[in-house]
Amino acid sequence: MEIKVLFFGVLTEVTGTCCKHYPASGSYRDLMLRIQDDYPEIVHYNFRVSVNNEIVNSEPVLNDGDEVALLPPFSGG
Amino acid sequence: MANNYLIKGPVTQELINLVLSSMSEKTDSGGHSAFFGQVRADEANGKRVKAIEYSAYEEMVKPEADKICKSVLSEFSDVRSVEIVHSTGIVKTGEISLFVLVSAGHRLQAMQACSKTVELVKERFPVWKKEIMEDGSHEWR
Repeated sequence: MEIKVLFFGVLTEVTGTCCKHYPASGSYRDLMLRIQDDYPEIVHYNFRVSVNNEIVNSEPVLNDGDEVALLPPFSGG
Repeated sequence: MANNYLIKGPVTQELINLVLSSMSEKTDSGGHSAFFGQVRADEANGKRVKAIEYSAYEEMVKPEADKICKSVLSEFSDVRSVEIVHSTGIVKTGEISLFVLVSAGHRLQAMQACSKTVELVKERFPVWKKEIMEDGSHEWR
């Protein structure tokens, strides 16, 4: 019963990791608060969130096994 | 390539030649427009960029790139094909990190669609760049 959270770009430095597993219990907001508790500096960075490769614009319902990614502004090219 | 859109390291002359050589098979096309994104030796605060390290959310690149190609093909009815190759990992200044090739029946839509594709790649590709400076420091962009 876990959610896999991925960090990209500058957030890999802020968190010191590229991924972390969190319990699947609780809401999307709960998950974001847990991440902020673990990495307080993250509040200073701008990022979007995707769930299972789809960017979300509202608070999604999370399910066991979901992959949540924190995506700083893209800068490819 | 890790998938059809990403390549580890710079976009090489060999790969570009391979893609360009496929143009002759596209006999329904009358024009091809290409874009080459190159790593620039920017300078800021007395530090010069020597390379960029690209990282990508690889699982998300393919669906996003598929959407870009579909969108461009839908918007430009004369376009026959869209090719996108983006680097991951280290690309030195002067090397190519993005290659886009659009083939169309006629030149105008080939050029317009190539420009549109590049803009969409910049906007939607889940890729991040870390500038590596000559003094060894780095800067996320």
